[in-house]
Order: sequence, then structure tokens, then C-alpha cells
Amino acid sequence: MTGLEERSPPELGDEILRLDNVNVHFPVKMPFVQRLLQREEVVVHAVDGVSFSVRAGEILGLVGESGCGKTTVGRASVRLVNPTSGRIFFAGQDISKLGGRNLRVLRRKMQIIFQDPHASLNPAMTIGRAIGHPLWIHGAAFGLQNRGSEAFGKWVQQRVLSTMREVGLTPEGQLFDKFPGDLSGGQKQRAVIARALILGPSLLVVDEGVSMLDMSIRAKVLELMIDLKRHHGLTYLFITHDLAAAKFVCDRIAIMYLGRIVEIGPARDIYSDPKHPYTKALLQVIPIPDPDKRKEKVLPRGEVPDAVHPPSGCRFHPRCPAVLAACGWEGRDFVDFLDDHLSDPKQAGDESILGPIEGWRADGLVAMMKAEPENVEKAVERVKAILVGAPTAMTQAIASVSAQNRTVMLRFNPPNELRQTQVQDRVVECLLYQ
Amino acid sequence: MEPLLQVQDLSVHYKTRRGFVRALEEFKLDALQGETLGVVGETGCGKSTLGKAILGILPAGTQVEGKVLFRGRDLTHLGNQMYRRLRGEEIALIFQDPMTRLNPLMTIMDHFVEEIQDHESVSSAEARSRAREALVSMGIHESRIKNYPHEFSGGMRQRIMIALAIVLKPSLLIADEPTTSLDVIVESQILGILQDLKRAYHMSVLLITHNLGIVAEVCDRVAVLYAGKLVELGPVRNVFHKPLHPYTQGLLASIIHLETRELHSIEGSPPDLIAPPSGCRFHPRCPYAQSICVEKVPPLVEFEPGHFAACHFGDKFL
Repeated sequence: MTGLEERSPPELGDEILRLDNVNVHFPVKMPFVQRLLQREEVVVHAVDGVSFSVRAGEILGLVGESGCGKTTVGRASVRLVNPTSGRIFFAGQDISKLGGRNLRVLRRKMQIIFQDPHASLNPAMTIGRAIGHPLWIHGAAFGLQNRGSEAFGKWVQQRVLSTMREVGLTPEGQLFDKFPGDLSGGQKQRAVIARALILGPSLLVVDEGVSMLDMSIRAKVLELMIDLKRHHGLTYLFITHDLAAAKFVCDRIAIMYLGRIVEIGPARDIYSDPKHPYTKALLQVIPIPDPDKRKEKVLPRGEVPDAVHPPSGCRFHPRCPAVLAACGWEGRDFVDFLDDHLSDPKQAGDESILGPIEGWRADGLVAMMKAEPENVEKAVERVKAILVGAPTAMTQAIASVSAQNRTVMLRFNPPNELRQTQVQDRVVECLLYQ
Repeated sequence: MEPLLQVQDLSVHYKTRRGFVRALEEFKLDALQGETLGVVGETGCGKSTLGKAILGILPAGTQVEGKVLFRGRDLTHLGNQMYRRLRGEEIALIFQDPMTRLNPLMTIMDHFVEEIQDHESVSSAEARSRAREALVSMGIHESRIKNYPHEFSGGMRQRIMIALAIVLKPSLLIADEPTTSLDVIVESQILGILQDLKRAYHMSVLLITHNLGIVAEVCDRVAVLYAGKLVELGPVRNVFHKPLHPYTQGLLASIIHLETRELHSIEGSPPDLIAPPSGCRFHPRCPYAQSICVEKVPPLVEFEPGHFAACHFGDKFL
């Protein structure tokens, strides 16, 4: 009764994990009075309507930049955070509301590995004890009631040693009594993997599992994960920002941006022919280690926006190099554009007519500014004039620029409804393919 | 032309309870005017120690031998006052994490004014206008100069730190993992900015990084460090296309990029620098190691013009 062999891996192809329109919203902390005055609840939209499924024996990569919600999806999948709405199924069972003992039993089947192996190991616990710890906690589940007995201790030790061998943490006899501080980064990550494996889980969530490791040992740990999958039919949710590493490991890839999956499909297709402009951007920025292949890059503008008020329509539209008029342009996009325009020293004259920027207010599709009656018409003309310098798609999306009473009012056309579209073997959320 | 910076036989030994950690040993390196020199290596190879040694910010009690010549002047014996003038004015540093440089209780304006007035006797008005200029040159709106660091995104903070580093127009910029904490797209943006700056000000950039992909994209020359020793130095083209040191070869093979067909790694792990291996420090992990590698420290040899390597068998890989 040693090692992981006793477990019969689930049939390949069975759906092991499914997320169905999962939302995870985190409340924003604010003072009580401010909360009372707020019209609506202020939340961070960490995950917004995410659905996917993972089949047994498959590795699904969740790829995106920080703040895209990939970690939250991973944690929600093993119920380390609770979904705000939507349903999570594990091996066919709805686990989204599971709690207490039922959840604890389930945790034997789902384990998570974090980015920093050093922080994941108790510095005062020997490696052998740390790896065997889950067995002490879940011992009863293995039909061994008497956890104080010598037999149980022996059994745990045997299992720990064989798991250590399996993850390449050798010589296991020597390392058993070492402390995390005595191990190298790669060894520590192997110890963390061993601890996650010892209960014989069927799903492993690996959250940036190799990002902190040095380049020369990263490959070894990736290979180990692939090996373990082959030998035990493990299923992984592989969370990473590194599309190059994901290429090696993943069968399918889901690209996330600001809480949404923008593209999901077989890894091979995503790398050979990315569809979503964001996927293209991510692929483009991976450095090529060949000085002869330097090239100019067309990068998305700016950075990932705030997830408290994500952009309307397609969330990537303010940064997208391939943006269309119907992608979701709204009032604040104009205000952002104007802000940039006014900060250009060459346009200093416009400040007196259109500034200050704080005078503008964006509300949904509308951007407006109060002005003196004699200035309103002038401001409207000026807005029309500077729009020549705006992105074409944004200019095309503007329905009207008008003067109403003492207000300059700019109104955008409503965006087209964004739907997830099947393109060959994958699903893309982009108007270009609708 | 005389190099801007010459590091000559520099040894840095940190004092710890277990003994001296030989972080750098008889280390040599020249940085030329206007070049981007990549310094690469893995955790604990001494690359950050090099940056700190140049700036004279090593912890007290550290043993330093050898010379660091900047424009011909030895920095290792420079007094505190002189060093303070040099930092910022001549040599500036960009850290990995902008929040280690930015004071959360100071506005961006205060940072700039302090930096400028510490080094130059200019009026506050003049300092403020230069601060605005520097900020705008990094693509951040002037109106945000009164904001505090926490009000900016990660990429903006990094740009603010770059603006702060170059506001006094230093001739050498040391960038220690400047993009490691950033997202991949922002990383690409920041690297573009560093390239533009180098061209605009004819600055030398010492880019310390573990990411060889970045080196290939932005550097002119590259120095490869292993366990406190310089193992290879040369123009990026030569080093990437014809690596002469087995460590460089292993490191290049282990990069995972989109065209990688097979995963490679280097056997073993880096040595303990309290008692480093004899001879070539890489010999316990080297697939080509012979008895001479255990016995004799390999000298740094110029195997082809400008391309140096410290390997007894470097000529075999030419």
C-alpha cells in the first residue's frame, strides 16, 4: 500500500471539472458613510461569467496578465474562494455550495500548488513531515482509525518516501529529515508537488508553479508534471502568465483578460493561429532568444484597467490594436483621449476651451462638460476638430457632439452585443469573428 | 576609447554566521560608453552584488577587494560625500520593485525636487519644471505629479522610477531586473522606453537580468555569470549563436520560448558559495568536465575578437 498506484485513474475524457457562468466579485472596502451614499455596490469583478470544462487527464492552461482573474478561477475551482454566482461541478457533483465536512472530503481529490515553494512550506517542519502531513489530517479516510499507532506512523513514512522518489526528491532517506531551508528552490517545489500528490488527487491546480524557479531547472519541474500526468492520469489546471511554458504542458488554453475568457481552444491552434487580438499581443511579446530576430512590436496601449469598473462591450477595446466602432466605446474613452490630448504641450491652447479635464463627466455612452453659454458652441466645434486625431474606430462610434443648454454633450452609439463565437475548434469572444 | 566603467579583479565576500559567502570572485568587466550590457545569471550568481558594489551600497562588514574604475577613478575608496554626489548624477539605479525606491508618504513631485536639489543648487521652481518635463517624457500626465506612489499602476510606477533615475542625466544606468515584477506587455513597453533613452542620451545601460530573451532583444553585449565568476562575455550575436562556455550553452538551451522543440535543463544545482568547488566552479555540473577542470581555475581567454570565455576547452566550441 505505497505510492499512488492504488488509485484507478478516471476514464480519460470524463468531465472532471466544469465551471458554469461563474462570477467572483470581491467587495471594495470603504468607510461606512461612503458606502451609504453609494448608489450601487462597489465590487471588484475578479471573475465575470466564466465557463469551461476540463476532461480527466487533460491539462488546461489559464493564461493572462496579473489581475485577469486566473488565480481566482483556480481558487474557486477548489473552493478556496466562494463563487458569487454560477455553479462549479467536480466529477459531476455541484460543489459550489458545499461546505464543512463534505468539502473537506472533496479536498483529498483536489489539490493546489502555489507559486512560491518557500512560502508554501513551514520552515520549522521537516520535509518528510510536511509531505506526510495531509495523511495525518485525512488518515481516517484511508481506513486507518488509530492515528497514534506505530503502524500508522510506519505506513505514512513508507508512503512519503515512495512519493519523494516519484517526484525525484532523492536521496529520499537523507532529505526526509531536512528542513525547507536546506533545500534548493527546485527541490522545495518538488516537495510541494509531493505533498499535493500524497493523497492521490485527481485534479491539481498549479498556480504559476514554475515562475519563481531558475531557468535551468524550470524545464525539469515541467517535465515532472507532464510525467506525473502520464503515469497517474492526473488532470491539471495550469495557471500561468507565460505562454511559452504553457505551450509545452497544455492540451488546451484559455486566455483570460479582466475576468473574462476571451479565447479558449486546443493549444496547437491557439499558438499557430491566434484569433483574439489580445492573444496575438501576448504571443508577440514573448522574447525570442535570437539577436537576429529583433523586430519592432505593435503593443497594446497602456495597462490593464481597473476591474471595479471594467470597460463596456469588449473589455480589451480601449487597448486593442484591431478595435472596431461597435466594440464598446463609451464616454470615459473620450475623456481619456482628451486627457492625453491636453497633456500634449503642443495643444496648450485647447486647455482654455476644453479644459480642465476634471470638468468632464462620463456617464455610460455620454461624455459631457458644463460651459459658459458663450463658450458652448466653440467647445463643440473644437471637440469635432480634435476628433480627427482620435482612433478611427472611436470617431466612427460617435453618434453626436452637440450643445445642450450650457453643456457640451458627446454621445456614442451603443455597442454591438458581444457573444462567444465558435471559430473552428475554439471559442472566441471578439466582434471580428461574430 | 576608454571604457566608462572598469571592474578589475573585484571580489566581494559577505560575512555570515556560517562563514564568508564568496558572492563575486576576481571579477572583471568593462562597460563602454553608450552600450547596453546585459549581465545574466541565475539566483545567487552575484549579478545584483555587482550592481551594489558599483554603487557602493554593500552591507557593512562586507569584504571588498579589487577596483571599480568609473571614468578612470576608483570607486572602492571613494568617501561617502563623493559617492553621494556620484549616485544619481553619474550612476543611477533602477530597482526591480519601484516601491523600494518610492516613498509612500511623498508625492511624485517631492521625489523629483528632492533628487534634483540634493545634487544641484537650483530654485524650487526650476526643479519643479524639470520634474514635470521628466514625467511627461515618460508618458505620464503632468497633472498627476502631485499624486502619491500608490495612486499609480505598476507600469506607471516603473516609468516614474526611470524618470527619477534619468532626471540628472547620468552616464551609467544600472537596471537590476527592471521588468521582472511587471506584466509581459508592460515589460515590453518598458524595455522599449529604456532603448529610446539610451539612444537619446547616449547613456550606458547595465541591464541585470535572469531573462536571456530580454538580453537577446535589447543588449549589445552580454556578460554571463556563474557562482560569482564571469564565465563568458561578448557581443550578443556571438554569445547566442556560438556560446563557448558549457554553462552558457546549457542556459541558452534551457530557455523556453515559442520555438522550443524539446525541454532542456542543467543537471544539479548551483554550488554553495561559502565553499565553492575547486578549479572551474561549474565543473560538478559540466558535461565535459576533465581532471584539469577540478584542479585549475580557467582564465578568461579571448577566443575570438571581443568574445571571452573562462573554459579550459573553449576553443573546442569555436
